[in-house]
Amino acid sequence: MTSDSFLALGGLVKHFGATKALDRADLALRAGSVHALVGENGAGKSTLIKTLSGLYQPDAGAIRLDGTEVTIDGPRAAEALGFRFIHQELNLVPHFDAVGNAWIGRRHPRRGPFIDRRAMRAKVADVAARIAPDLPLDKPAARLTPGQRQMAEIVRALVDPARLVVMDEPTSSLSEGEAERLHAIVRQLSAEGCAVLFISHRLDEVLDLCDSYTVLRNGRTVGAGRVADTSRAGLVAMMSGTAGVSPSALRPPQPQHPEEAFAESRLEGRTVDVQQKLPGTDALRPSRRPSGPPQDVAVGALPGQSKGRAEKPVLATDLAFGPGDSRFAFSARPGEIVGLYGLVGSGRSSLLKTIWGATPGRGLIAINGQVPGHGPAGRIAAGCAYVPEDRRREGLANALSIESNLSLAHLPDFRAFSPLPMPSRSKIRNFARATGARLRLVAGGLDHSPATLSGGNQQKLLFGRWLGRPIRVLLVDEPTRGVDVGAKAEIHGEMRKIAADGAAILMATSDIEELLALSTRVLVLHAGRLVAELDGPSLTRAAVVAAAFGHAPDEQMPPSERSA
Amino acid sequence: MILLRRYGTLLALALIVLVFTIASPNAFGSMSNLVNITQQMALLAIVAIGATLVMVLGEFDLSVSAVVSWAGIAAAALFAAGIAVPVVMIVVLVSAVAMGAISGFLVARYKVPSFIATLAFGTVIGGLTFWVSNGATMFSGIPAGFRDLGRGTLAGVPVPTLWLIGVAVVFWLLLDQTEFGRRLYAIGGNREAARLVGLPVRRDMVVAFALCAALAGLAGLLLTARLGSAHPTGGGGYLLQAYAAVFLGMTAFREGEPSIPGTLVGAAIIAVVSNGLTILGVPSFLQDLLTGAIILAAVLVRNFGRDGD
Repeated sequence: MTSDSFLALGGLVKHFGATKALDRADLALRAGSVHALVGENGAGKSTLIKTLSGLYQPDAGAIRLDGTEVTIDGPRAAEALGFRFIHQELNLVPHFDAVGNAWIGRRHPRRGPFIDRRAMRAKVADVAARIAPDLPLDKPAARLTPGQRQMAEIVRALVDPARLVVMDEPTSSLSEGEAERLHAIVRQLSAEGCAVLFISHRLDEVLDLCDSYTVLRNGRTVGAGRVADTSRAGLVAMMSGTAGVSPSALRPPQPQHPEEAFAESRLEGRTVDVQQKLPGTDALRPSRRPSGPPQDVAVGALPGQSKGRAEKPVLATDLAFGPGDSRFAFSARPGEIVGLYGLVGSGRSSLLKTIWGATPGRGLIAINGQVPGHGPAGRIAAGCAYVPEDRRREGLANALSIESNLSLAHLPDFRAFSPLPMPSRSKIRNFARATGARLRLVAGGLDHSPATLSGGNQQKLLFGRWLGRPIRVLLVDEPTRGVDVGAKAEIHGEMRKIAADGAAILMATSDIEELLALSTRVLVLHAGRLVAELDGPSLTRAAVVAAAFGHAPDEQMPPSERSA
Repeated sequence: MILLRRYGTLLALALIVLVFTIASPNAFGSMSNLVNITQQMALLAIVAIGATLVMVLGEFDLSVSAVVSWAGIAAAALFAAGIAVPVVMIVVLVSAVAMGAISGFLVARYKVPSFIATLAFGTVIGGLTFWVSNGATMFSGIPAGFRDLGRGTLAGVPVPTLWLIGVAVVFWLLLDQTEFGRRLYAIGGNREAARLVGLPVRRDMVVAFALCAALAGLAGLLLTARLGSAHPTGGGGYLLQAYAAVFLGMTAFREGEPSIPGTLVGAAIIAVVSNGLTILGVPSFLQDLLTGAIILAAVLVRNFGRDGD
């Protein structure tokens, strides 16, 4: 497989102090191929890419381009060789449009002493017409969707002819539809003879899109070949070094009375947590399909809880959410993991933030039968917990230690002497130790910054900080984005454990495999509207995707009616 | 090298003291002068401790010097009207707290960048101060009992030093040992994350700004007590020096985080350099030059050390 490759990396070794980040890594790329580079976090993918982009110099080994050995001594050299890199965190200037961004760092065309904006635009429009004709060229990057930003990056990469485009987790922040769009662009690049090196944790995507692959483990190439000759299980086995497969086949038990789920969700009476009054708010009207005579939400009681032993919902909402007068009404019981799916922009994250009290909202929420207090603090007091989407921006304070981050959410639990608001360091330390052990946290030390942790371990921290007290409701936004296979399985296991301990979990994810593996029931949002609820036999990949794209046959039909 | 990076600022302080002691063993190195330095640094350090709280949040309060001046003038004006000492002190401190709370509210609620919010509001306070004082120094009617709060000694320790010790202990406890302090560090570390885990971000920010202004107000009172007069720009020198002390302090202990012990070290460096150079008869323009160079050097040493991380 090396004979027809234009780029070959052979026996690359790279040390960082005592650790070997690369240990005889090989990689061969054919022109016009879409090549997957897979491996767990820490397997050496990033180091390999940085070697290719000239940021690192290998300690041993050779990079051959068209049969001759080359040294890449910096990003400029990589650029000159025709290598382009699209990083996981996009690097666009937010107030520049796609055209301005495409020309950053290049020699701008000039007319006399002035920058020739028309020529700039013409050149970029040329590339965009080929690759992404629907990309708006005049909008500042800040106002583009994540998918469009990715396209703008790709367009920028192709303004000068490219031979190789490296994409690091390009679809991790994209919805299914946007990911499809990106895949089409990748295929287009490949058809034009440009090789694409595609790094992804989503194996179904790799199997679907790529024609060849290389697997890294502990810095070493442990497998390579044609995608057609392997399978998901084969890739996982190579990545993990064992035949062991993650326990995602295991599904939690179904809730006992799924048909009640919607019927019980109607809450009448008190408004909840109106942080900022929206126009016309006084009318939190009784639901259009009342499930009985209107009742007040008495503390400790939910309407319709007449089923005796049948477990009461721990989370019930009836929120004004989405366009027009549409509502988001549902309830969840202990032990349930309810998946929330939708394209980017469908409102998953803002829905979770509204339930969490971090965004102003209008409507009713009951946690464990009670209307919770104001804002996140009120939700926490009611036994609710939240894992945000973006761990770096919304989750962790890197200037603080790991243990401080773990203790933040419920500092008063760590008082040395309960009337005094003075936390005890040893109590925090003990909690951090226990939590770290439970989550199998891999950290240099609990007093280190969370920035020193891998993505998977950072994600574990976000779950860990809620483990000190009983969780009744867990809201999770993207539980495992950008997390390696091993940590993903551990986080999934932890979520099942939290559910089994009596919590209801509402999980938004754009990873459809994760959605199907974990959820007992799936709610699908389309353009802010709850368009489908799927469970049991109706819960299939095809049904979820169809609903997310707005192809659902019905709107807001309760499952009992639909399945009848 | 790690030692130098970690404790470089402390070593620098020790080194500076050593050099001055050798250069001027009798004048600088005498016990009475060293005690005197603690008195000279007291007001600066009190202002800087307040600034530390706001810096922990990752914000600035550029109105501190305006509040110092305001407190002095307001106190002098009230004394001139014949109002009793405790009432004056309470009214002045409450007015300072209100000013800080307004700044904090602008920053926390309306997300005005603190740099510009406090610069503008500080200008407003400065205008108010000039209005009340007619731009003149005020010195009539300041009672001797009040003046004793800012001068003299108690059990052999200068009174301003005692104020500093009290303030430092209280605010060290507040910042280092309480939930409030931990929340401030968390808000400074990642405000959005703090909000999402239910911390009362806005309230804590307002309180931090209010406490910062309260300390500036206290410094203004003590300044007027020490001088026996108040000038409408009397606090002007404290702004840059206070932040210099906080920044120096950030290089002293914890990784880059503002802390009360650090700020004390920073204020001590500034005071020692100024005192030592004055004793050696160095002209004041050279003093400014050296003080600025020391601050730059301390920050540079830290950042050099960080390159490898």
